[in-house]
Amino acid sequence: MPRDLTPSTLENTFVLKALTERVRLDNRSFNQLRDLDVSFSSTEYGLVDVKLGRTRVIARISAEITQPYPDRPYDGLFLISTEISPMAAPTFEAGRKSEDELVISRIIEKSIRRSGALDTEALCIISGEKCWAVRADVHFLDHDGGLLDAACIAVSAGLLHFRRPDITIEGVGSRREVIVHPITERVPVPLAVLHVPVCVTFSFFDVRKASSAVAGVPSKDEMKAENDDDDIEEEGDSSIAVLVDATLQEELLRHGYMSVTANTNREICQIQKGGEMPVEVGTLLSCSEAAIIVAEKVTKLINKRLKEDETRRNVGNLLVESRAENDR
Amino acid sequence: MTSRIEIYSPEGLRLDGRRWNEVRHFRCAINTHPVSSDGSSIIEQGNTKVICNVIGPAEPTLRSRALLDRLCISVKVIVAPFSTIERRKRPQNDSRIQEMCSSIQHVFEDAVIAHLFPRSQIDVNLYIVAQDGGVLQACINATTLALIDAGVPMYDYVCACTAGMLDREVLLDMNRIEESDMPFLTMATIGATRKVSLLQLEMKVQFDRLEPMMAAAMSGCHHIRNLMDNEVRKHGKSRRQMGSL
Repeated sequence: MPRDLTPSTLENTFVLKALTERVRLDNRSFNQLRDLDVSFSSTEYGLVDVKLGRTRVIARISAEITQPYPDRPYDGLFLISTEISPMAAPTFEAGRKSEDELVISRIIEKSIRRSGALDTEALCIISGEKCWAVRADVHFLDHDGGLLDAACIAVSAGLLHFRRPDITIEGVGSRREVIVHPITERVPVPLAVLHVPVCVTFSFFDVRKASSAVAGVPSKDEMKAENDDDDIEEEGDSSIAVLVDATLQEELLRHGYMSVTANTNREICQIQKGGEMPVEVGTLLSCSEAAIIVAEKVTKLINKRLKEDETRRNVGNLLVESRAENDR
Repeated sequence: MTSRIEIYSPEGLRLDGRRWNEVRHFRCAINTHPVSSDGSSIIEQGNTKVICNVIGPAEPTLRSRALLDRLCISVKVIVAPFSTIERRKRPQNDSRIQEMCSSIQHVFEDAVIAHLFPRSQIDVNLYIVAQDGGVLQACINATTLALIDAGVPMYDYVCACTAGMLDREVLLDMNRIEESDMPFLTMATIGATRKVSLLQLEMKVQFDRLEPMMAAAMSGCHHIRNLMDNEVRKHGKSRRQMGSL
């Protein structure tokens, strides 16, 4: 019978005490991400494996032709499925939606679908009749904290990597036919990705012995606009430790969290701060700014891997190798 | 459709004639269902109307859910099918509603002095009777009032407000039409402090525009806190006069 993982009181006290001395158990700094590795499949387009520390997530992008929704004839379909199976951790049950799963699916929905990362209008083939339905399936293989962050990176990277078959429309009017060219015939086409959302989760710990600071402190004079990326936790409350990218143990012991999704255009796609543990508003703003910096780092890594994958695929491709174009 | 409706006129007036920093008409009533629940409230923010019933602290319905050292709160949100313009029955496990329930639960589990009631449960039932934007904020405000009416000890009021950004103009407390047209955030603060309990942003916004939105939402929350406090004191006074305290 799967039970909730409840850490022992000893663990709780040890981790909190370590945080008062500004030490994390895996010796990272407070705003350091774990080792992130994004690898693309060399045989299939749209299959990406993300390893964030020991958390492992696989995303699979696929596309098929279907009918669009009647009230949106010019838009294609885009579905994201983030079902967590017991493979990730024994506390998840197949078929039953735990609260973690709900949070992850809602935040991924808001980060990627609602923010318009994928241009659904570009998925339309014949308005009102045929459109592409892009589906992103996220499989959680190993849960060591940061499932949400890893899933978001995986789907974003997958959307950039995926290629859909090229199509041509023949005929006129109601006798139009859509011909789907297999990848052996024509080079597949990338999706129209407008921006690359990256989700960053910040975990809050109240390092004072007392229970969470709910009774507020009288307001300061004005809101300080922090713009340094190191040590976000030094301003404002020193009684709150803010950790970036928590491991499973830190996740279970945290008192509150905030998920911020940002992209390299300095846009914040979504913020979700659940109700646990009230935090001073200046800290939240600096977290959002730190999220942008993390987003830039992650996007750079994804682009680097995409390029490596591209060169790997093009080995032996005479068309690409014999191009006369030179780098300017 | 949006080109015909002027969300923010050049004179600085919104659709309902408010200025950018004016909260909608706020009406609340406490102890509206004295028989069916331990605490109840009705909140009207503009056209958004929410009823809240609180039962507890009481024995938990599911023994396994009870926490050994503190209170647990169970939130249920029921959206009336006639609450929107189009009559639509919403399935109970709609993920948006589930998310709202879970957010409200976390907000109040921290705002209530939970360690006074170990192994107990509070049931919060929210009925959304009319939706015109700011539903989550109204639910949180209604729950605060109902918990106060039920006599549950709390650290402070939890007040919520929304703020949106139309181009470069910040707008406070938005209705449905404004919400669908611009990025907005919902913020819940603890009383009149700068501590934020809940922060939710659902549409893309430039980072530099975030700070004014948060500042406006915070002052909106403080204003709503004063309005709720007035109502609570008024209610308390009337009960004392009636002799029931």
